[in-house]
Amino acid sequence: MAGATYFLPRDLHPGAWWLWALGLAVGASRTTNPWLLLTILAVACYVVVARRTDAPWAMAFRMYLYLGALIVTFRVLFRIIFGGAEGSTIILRLPEIPLPAWAAGIRLLGDVSAESVLGGLYDGLRLATMVICLGAANALANPKRLLKAMPSALYEVGTAVIVAMSVFPQLAESVVRVRQARKLRGGHGGKRFHALRAVVIPVLADALDRSLRLAASMDSRGYGRAGVVAARTRLVTGTLMIVGLIGVCVGVYATLDGSTPRYLAAPVLFSGVVVALIGFRTAGARVKRSRYRPERWQLAEVVVAASGIGVAVAMFATSSVDPTNLNPSLVTLSWPMLSWLPLGGVLLGLVPAFLTPLPQPELERVPA
Amino acid sequence: MTRRLAKALSAVAVAVLATATPASAIDHSKGAPGFCHGDTGVTVVVDFQQLGGTTIVRCLPGATAGTGLDALKGAGFQVAGVQRWGEAFICRVENRPSAVEVVPVNGREKYRELCLDTPPAGGYWSYWHAGNNCSWTYSQWGVKNRQFIPGGFEGWSFSLNATADTNPVPRVAPVRPGTEGRLCNALEEAKPNTNDPNERQQPAPPAGERPREESPTTTPKPAPGTPGQAPAPTEAPVSSDRVLPPPKPRPSSAKPDPAQNVAFTGGEGAADVNQLIKDQSGSSDYAPWVAAGAVVLLAGATVFTARRHRRARES
Repeated sequence: MAGATYFLPRDLHPGAWWLWALGLAVGASRTTNPWLLLTILAVACYVVVARRTDAPWAMAFRMYLYLGALIVTFRVLFRIIFGGAEGSTIILRLPEIPLPAWAAGIRLLGDVSAESVLGGLYDGLRLATMVICLGAANALANPKRLLKAMPSALYEVGTAVIVAMSVFPQLAESVVRVRQARKLRGGHGGKRFHALRAVVIPVLADALDRSLRLAASMDSRGYGRAGVVAARTRLVTGTLMIVGLIGVCVGVYATLDGSTPRYLAAPVLFSGVVVALIGFRTAGARVKRSRYRPERWQLAEVVVAASGIGVAVAMFATSSVDPTNLNPSLVTLSWPMLSWLPLGGVLLGLVPAFLTPLPQPELERVPA
Repeated sequence: MTRRLAKALSAVAVAVLATATPASAIDHSKGAPGFCHGDTGVTVVVDFQQLGGTTIVRCLPGATAGTGLDALKGAGFQVAGVQRWGEAFICRVENRPSAVEVVPVNGREKYRELCLDTPPAGGYWSYWHAGNNCSWTYSQWGVKNRQFIPGGFEGWSFSLNATADTNPVPRVAPVRPGTEGRLCNALEEAKPNTNDPNERQQPAPPAGERPREESPTTTPKPAPGTPGQAPAPTEAPVSSDRVLPPPKPRPSSAKPDPAQNVAFTGGEGAADVNQLIKDQSGSSDYAPWVAAGAVVLLAGATVFTARRHRRARES
């Protein structure tokens, strides 16, 4: 039966897309090798284009690409402005601006070496890739359905997280809409400043209007209802959740970043998870929600999630084997080296572009 | 937008390609094997100690001024700095300790030097210097912050599980061949007088101003709590007018003795560092091409698919 229905068009579980994108982002965070980063970027872009819907948040993916380009440009510019003389291959000689003694350690302009510019480029490319991976998740996963798929214990935190996460897609969506409307009204080119005002003000007004509307609709559906729970219980639950989540954040950061002390990694992560689980239990016990058309986790979702996690695992595995590959040395300028294992691991992220059902066409879409 | 993306990607690729040039091994184009011969230039001694491997002595001939890093690189050594500090903190010399080599640091038995952050105090390259016929001195300055002594010595010695008092001195005496028995004529260096890691050592006064009463030095004690080559803060600042203090009288017992040198080479037979790294990391010549091909292919497919979808939407 799986063979016949597997490729029937349907929207995948948003959690699967998030797992996939986070896997790619974690993989990107482990390396500064431009080959790998560019491959991750290309993989993410292709999967987005192949599997996105026509929804506005999906069309806003290009905003993330602009943001990524901006990040790279800024990293390189900062290397040029604030002392880029690390290394011996000087490519640009700028006059150095002398600074007073109390600003020792800061350098303005001066010689710029190829090594430091490349270092900035690699570093910026890594951050840009991670941002674009998250953009890919936002383009592929419907944020409203993600809120729906939250387990009831995570309900309070989840609402806040999803509201925060969907700010950028919402803004991008507004920009796209306002620009479309301007185009329809016919082009009188106008001055640039006027164009800026004509886009920014409607976008802000639109965002405000929509959040008020959303708040009203959430209110009328009973969101934020505290129910009959003692204030003390709520305080304890909230404290447990927040402490636990902070612990999880610190632990995850320390686990991913190789240079933080190890006692911040596993112990903090573990205790954070335990505290958060206790909090979730007490919170989940008092939230009762029914669910209309629950999201299903099927084989295609498993494939998507596995491909993302596979990328992350491959990068972790190879970084403990051959770190020289993942962090190219900039001391002697040379082509960044690359071995097959991390490259293959990164290409694993391409699987969802082929082995998943297409998204549902707009006409047959049922409201989430 | 996808077309623009493809353009941006290819621009990045071109930028990477354009700036990258091939590099070679122990750079035989720089420096010369063995000791320096005259009062200019600086001899660099690299002692791998417990890492194993033959000590290398090379010379940066003719130089009269420069930083310790200039000396090290100018003598032809291939070095790597940690990602966090760059070349201000040298973590590998001649690819040792390599990324695949286990350094048995106490408490971190499986430690491998990844060159990301400051190496542990139990396993790092300690940085030494000496005037000709003087004894080795643990540097109080960072490698980019101190000036080498013309005609003198720069030493790099791998310190494994050593304390400030037991840091291993390079096992080649800082004596140029043919000058044995002469007196040490180097000044004691001023210590850094601020906590600023970017403070630079003042250049030494001209030779004429040097004090006459010179005597061989004793083995000085490295500053406690100085992990590696980072400049150490000191409690007692030197006089404010930046005049170097007069040399202290030293007993003649610890005169450097070239007879106790370990075997060393000029690094002539040293393996090509880049080739070595390539072998160790298991990287392939073809993988970057495949990656580039995949990127180009995917960018093309992205543009194509996006256009097809747009056309379908518009119709």
